[in-house]
Order: sequence, then C-alpha cells, then structure tokens
Amino acid sequence: MTDIDIVGVGVWSEYCSNWDEFCSVLAGGAIPQVTPLKPELIPAKERRRAPLSVKMAVEVMDQACRMGAVGPSEVATVFASVYGDMRNTDYMCRTLDAAPRTVSPTKFHNSVHNASTGYWAIATGSHRPANAVSAYLHSGTMAFLEGAIQALEEDIPVLVCVEEIAAPAAFKPFYDSEQSFSTALLLTPPAYSASPLASVRFGVRNEESDYPELPEVAGVNWSDNLAATLLPLLAAIATPGEAELQFPISSHSSLSLTVGSAGKAVDA
Amino acid sequence: MRLAIGSYTATSAAGVGLAAMQKSIAGRSSGLRPNDLDGCDLDTWIGRVDALEAISLPRHLAHLSSRDNQLAWLGLQQDGLLDSLAQLTKRISADRVGVIIGTSTSSIGRTEEAYTKLLPSGFISEEYRQPEVHSLHSPGAFVSAATGLEGPSMTISTACSSSAKVFASAARWISHGLVDAVLVGGIDGLCMSILYGFNSLELVSSSLCRPFDRRRDGINIGEGCGYAILMREELQPDSEFALLGYGESSDAYHMSHPHPEGKGAVTAIDQALERAQVPADAIDYVNLHGTASQANDRIEAYALAQRFSEHTLASSTKAWTGHALGAAGILEAVITLQAMRHGLIPGTLNCEEQDPDAAFGVLTENSHKPISNAMTNSFGFGGNNAVLIFGRTND
Repeated sequence: MTDIDIVGVGVWSEYCSNWDEFCSVLAGGAIPQVTPLKPELIPAKERRRAPLSVKMAVEVMDQACRMGAVGPSEVATVFASVYGDMRNTDYMCRTLDAAPRTVSPTKFHNSVHNASTGYWAIATGSHRPANAVSAYLHSGTMAFLEGAIQALEEDIPVLVCVEEIAAPAAFKPFYDSEQSFSTALLLTPPAYSASPLASVRFGVRNEESDYPELPEVAGVNWSDNLAATLLPLLAAIATPGEAELQFPISSHSSLSLTVGSAGKAVDA
Repeated sequence: MRLAIGSYTATSAAGVGLAAMQKSIAGRSSGLRPNDLDGCDLDTWIGRVDALEAISLPRHLAHLSSRDNQLAWLGLQQDGLLDSLAQLTKRISADRVGVIIGTSTSSIGRTEEAYTKLLPSGFISEEYRQPEVHSLHSPGAFVSAATGLEGPSMTISTACSSSAKVFASAARWISHGLVDAVLVGGIDGLCMSILYGFNSLELVSSSLCRPFDRRRDGINIGEGCGYAILMREELQPDSEFALLGYGESSDAYHMSHPHPEGKGAVTAIDQALERAQVPADAIDYVNLHGTASQANDRIEAYALAQRFSEHTLASSTKAWTGHALGAAGILEAVITLQAMRHGLIPGTLNCEEQDPDAAFGVLTENSHKPISNAMTNSFGFGGNNAVLIFGRTND
C-alpha cells in the first residue's frame, strides 16, 4: 500500500458546476442553476471553437489547481475517457462518409485523444508531460493509478481528469448516456501540502471486485456515464472521516483505496 | 533507471517481422506504394501492410475485429514474441505482467465503417455493435485478451508520441512495483480519418516522402505495429538492451504545429539524457521523428543542433514505413534497437538534396558503425513529445 494526497478537486456536469455545488447536491441540497461552461483559462476566441469535451476538461482541471493552490503550469496531466470526444467522432465519421475532402482541419486536430491536455498546455504555458489514456470500463480507476504512480515516481503534482460526454445517437445501442460528466483530481506526493483535502492509501489486489455503489447525486442515474464510476471516490473526499473503497481494474484485480478526508473543502 | 528489454518485434509496410524489415533497411527498399486503400481517392503514397483484411481473428477474439486489431494480431505472431511471453509467465505470474499499448487511431476505421451503414434510427447497426472496439482502449483490450496477460492494461493515445510514451509509463509501473514486466506496444491501422484529416491540413505529399530533403512537401501515412517486453533487470540479466531514459514534455504552442524553436523537443531530450545519466556526446545514433513535413524536419534539426555535435549520427526512417502515427514510437524504437544489434544505421531514404535550413546534418546513406547508446524522438499533435534512450548492456 502507498500513500498519495489529493489537494484539489474539480467537477462539472449539467447538475453541478464546481466542487462546492457537488458537495451541496450530494448532501441533498437543491440542484443549482448551472451556468454555461466558460473555462476562463481558454481565451474567448478559442473558447468558442473549443469542443465541449475540451471545455469541460480545462474547467475542472483549473478548478482543481485553484483549490490546491498549485500553479497550473507546474502539473503533469493525465486525461482519461472511454469513448473520447464522441461529438467530434460523430462529425468526422459523417463527413468522411458524405464528403471526405471537406473534413475540417480544426476538427481533425481536435480528434486526438490528447486534445484536452494539449489545449491545457497551450492555455497554461506548461511544458510538463501530458498523457491521455483509456482502459475501457476501468478508464477512471486506471487514470487514478497512472497519475498516482507518476506523482510518486517523479515527485511532481499530477492532475488527473476523467470525463465522458453525452453519447450521440449512433452510439446509443451500446452507450446510452444522456449526461456529460467531468472531474479532476490533483494528486501530490505526501507532505507536498500541509493540509491536503484527502489522503489516500492505495494498492492493487489480485481479487475480483464490483464497482462500489454510486451515491445519490441530483436524482440522476449516473450508472449510464462511465466517468461517474469515480463518484464514490468524490463522495469519500467530500465526507469527513475514513472510507474504504474497492474498484475493479481488470476482471481479476482491483484497486483498493482508504480515503481519509478532512472534508474541509465542503464549506471552503 | 535501467530496465531490461526482452523480445521485440515490428510489422509495417517495410516488412512483417524483424527479418523482413532488416532486409528492407539493408537493401534501402521502401515499403511505400501509391495509395490503393479501398474508399480513399487521395493522390498520395501509403505504407500499407498486405492482406490485413483477410486476417480472421480466432473465435474468442472475434468480437474485437477491426483492421487495427487484425494488424495487432499479425504483429503478435512474429519473432517468437508469444513464446517469450510464455517463458516469462512461467517465471512470474501473468498478473505481474502489464500491458500498455499506444495508438492514435484505436479502431476508428471500424467506427467510420459503421457510420456508412447506420440504421434509419441513426443507430450503429448490429454487426458493428462492438463497444470495446469503438472505445479508445480497443488495442490495449485486444492485446490483453490475445496474450492472456493479466496485469493492468492501459492504452495511451497522445497522437504521434503514443507508443513512445508507453515506455515511460511502463518504466514507472515497474519502478513502483505495480508489475515486474510490461508488454509495451503500438498499433495504428490505415483509415479515412487520418488520410483525409492530414489532407485537410495540407500535410500529405502526393509523391514519396522526402525527410530532410530541400524539396520535401509532406508526409506519407503508414500503418504498423510493434511490441517490446520491458522488465526488471533481474528478470533478464543477460538482456542485449536496456531502456536507459525517457523524456516527456508539452510544447504549449499549437495543436498541430510544433513549437518554432523546438522548446518541447529540447525539454524532452534533456529529461531523457538526465534520466539516462549520459552526456549528449555518448549518443551514437538518433532515430528522428523526421516526418518530411516542412515544419517538423526544420524544427527537429534545429532542436537537435541545440544539444548534439556531429559525433551523433541521425536519420529518419519514415520513407521506409510511412508515418505510422500512434505506432511510430514503437516502430522506430524497434528500428533503433535493430540498428544497435546489427551495427547498421539506416541513412535517410529519399533525402537527396539535404535542406540547408535543417541545420543538423542527417545521414543519407546506410552506415556501418557500432552503437552503444541511441535515442529516438516522437512528437505529436497537441504538442506532445516523447524521447527514449536505449543502451547496449554489454558495453
């Protein structure tokens, strides 16, 4: 087992636009009026052209850095998603079918899985390593593991962003998600911050595991959204005290987490 | 850091397996051909692997069928890789061997095909309902299923640096003790997105690509896959090669144009040299990213000249394979290891009039020379850079 600290969290969905709102909704508060997504880090001109998936990612990554009081250009990034920017994929595939020579060069370069971390690096001027990963159903937990190991092995803060956007019609026979959800966790080696939001002891066990039950958030069926598999971790961070969680990372191994939360960001 | 490299293999237009590739390189015979990919009418040259369409996956893997995974399957059968994995998993359990695969395309070609046959409802039709294949993890999931390796499995997709970055993540996994070994690799199949996408950026050449040539006018796109087994040194004390260092960085400049002064490239090179604890002059050979785009070659040469002297020989091998994008990192890592094994440095093919604006002299003819340490560069969209340094372990 190894220790890692979480010093910042970002959240955005159609039901809560930041960590405070998430904590409030989680505690049973009213669903807030979510303001349009407008990540300030991206200059207005580029923001208009940036896809939803990029705007969500940059927004939650910025939230996490602000909460952790870590300079955004100081962090390495790990972005994860199962299906990536499905809206852009939908555009690309339709255009390639109908009139392939009319593919937009901007949409093409936005089609890389590392678009969000690329926009992040440009917006923050960061030359730090940027990664973009996927592990199908286990994308969220593998991104956490990848980020935690990178933070510890290289002794740097690592910003992990996990998101999934609402599915276009074509995908619905196998991925029928109506919600978009994005979250970012700023991970640091222990003692990097004197007052981390949460301290996590993690390890991999060679045993099967089911996903932990999802907490009630805004009355939404979050099981549809594959990024929301991390909701139990967010709930544990939001709740003062200690929580034990186990997530599958393959059909025969699991990531176990003991989350000790100060819970102080709830009213921060 | 030092990690042993066990078996490795590569499959591309330049050859299926190491022997065929080595023959192409020694004979200076390009694998590129005029574009003949079904459904693509672009006037360009491509690096295509023959008869991929005819490969039928075994029943237990059939649900993962796609051009990319068929290519991945063909690649797995080469050079005794599966035997080496079987040997390894006799000594350590299969759950101590991870899988990290780099890709830019994943299996998007299969998604493109599904969109040509959407149902009136707008849904993907029954035969294409392959959730894993339409996910970014298609190649990683396939390789785990095909090899039976039970360690953590992850796909990295950072455009053209993807399958160089697999070495960095694998090194961290092993160093952390998550696993004892990792099968790293890269897989990218030809598809419409990349051909028409790069065409939209006016980066595709209508002739054979000419890396570092004054008259170069763009890239040729290729497909390919490759694998290497990376492990703790104790597991293979007699290994021929070691991964000595890696560097990863961001340009923070533009989504599809490299930093004009190669800032990210130099940052990644410096990191790799520092991790490897070797001075720049100890690098005998650099396999360049060398795509034959105007910007890449000029800026990469400029970046190299910041750190290296004429002692270091450098070349691009893209004119053999085409630019295999997400698989370029592993293909060129394997080409670099082969250059070290055979003491044969591939001179850049099709570079006839070297560009004086590409300040660092690149090798244009094959050269016989022993190599102790070598480096390979991979730079991708989003300004994503990765650099690897390998060393011969008996030196």
